[in-house]
Amino acid sequence: MTPDRFRALVSTVLIVGVATSAGLVALGFAGSLVVGWEGSLLGRAPVGESTTDFAGMGAGLAALRPIAIGQAGLLVLIATPVLRVAASIAAFAVEGDRLYTAITMAVLAVLLTSLFVIR
Amino acid sequence: MTVGTDIGIFTISVLAGLIGSLAGVGGGIIVIPALTLLFGVDIRLAIGASIVSVIATSSGAAAAYVRDRMTDMRVGMFLELATTSGAVCGALLVALVPPGSLYVLLGVVLLFSAVQQSLRLGEELPPTTSASPLATRLRLAGAYPDARFGRDVSYVAQRVPLGFALMAGAGVVSGLLGIGSGALKVLAMDGAMRLPMKVSSATSNFMIGVTAAASAGIYLGRGDVDVTVAAPVALGVLAGATIGARILPHLSNRHVRLVFLPVLIVIGLQTLARGLGIGP
Repeated sequence: MTPDRFRALVSTVLIVGVATSAGLVALGFAGSLVVGWEGSLLGRAPVGESTTDFAGMGAGLAALRPIAIGQAGLLVLIATPVLRVAASIAAFAVEGDRLYTAITMAVLAVLLTSLFVIR
Repeated sequence: MTVGTDIGIFTISVLAGLIGSLAGVGGGIIVIPALTLLFGVDIRLAIGASIVSVIATSSGAAAAYVRDRMTDMRVGMFLELATTSGAVCGALLVALVPPGSLYVLLGVVLLFSAVQQSLRLGEELPPTTSASPLATRLRLAGAYPDARFGRDVSYVAQRVPLGFALMAGAGVVSGLLGIGSGALKVLAMDGAMRLPMKVSSATSNFMIGVTAAASAGIYLGRGDVDVTVAAPVALGVLAGATIGARILPHLSNRHVRLVFLPVLIVIGLQTLARGLGIGP
């Protein structure tokens, strides 16, 4: 893989992540102007409290609640840097740069540790 | 929240994304005070929104910076190893270190760096030198296209161990205090490693998103990332950062420093004030 294609790959991951996230957040925001954040674009009854866990978000997405759509967008936004590091590992590996494949894998390991282990 | 408030938050966030993408910092210094002081948002939710703002600034600008060869991916990944490990250590040390004195220390360091930065205001490019064996081994050298000169400008990272150590320190500080460390990252790359200012800023931009993502999970789990606040922030910052990334290649390194210096002074003063118990 040439350095230019490497950059194109990482750049593409970023653009797709950012565009998906912005689209979902904008959709949720637009929906909130119509039915309110807790409402439902399918006309289901509003729920009192928002749920931040995955099950709650899934149920909210199924009911097309603006709050769940917005939360999904923010989740994609937060996941984008992690995906970018993962894409960099693949790119360094294909380029045959063992040193930086190892360095980037170590970064991803520390990142995942901090995301899932430390609370 | 009213539509007027949403528009207000969106507008401020565009500004935060614009300045953040040019200076290589997250928009926290603008987003947090604006949300709390102007819009009466709870500080906890303002900090949650600021984490979103840092990631949005980083990802929004980095797509263009990576493509345009402004970001040095190897320098970024190598230093990210120091920052993320430092951040984990910092998060583990939270209970042991009193934050007040740490804020004061950090504020003083940032303001001292501002004096150094102002002495370097007239410098367009760092003096060229040969690569050390370590920089060669780690391939910490490259070239970026400078639209102002109409040619590629090559550079070599200097004082690699110092830069790595400073980055680890920046990580510890951000883990301990729960703040982004974009300013410290720019200072380590520009001041210690003597990379061109635009490369320092764009590479810092690339890195702050990764560092912030590490702590974002914690804020998300605590419920500090409130969609009603974070949605207009995310959309505004993404728009601002996209604009900033289009402007940066056409600015001189001096101009970038002129954007960075006031940001540095404001962060230094905010940090110092917080350590002394003044202000939000």
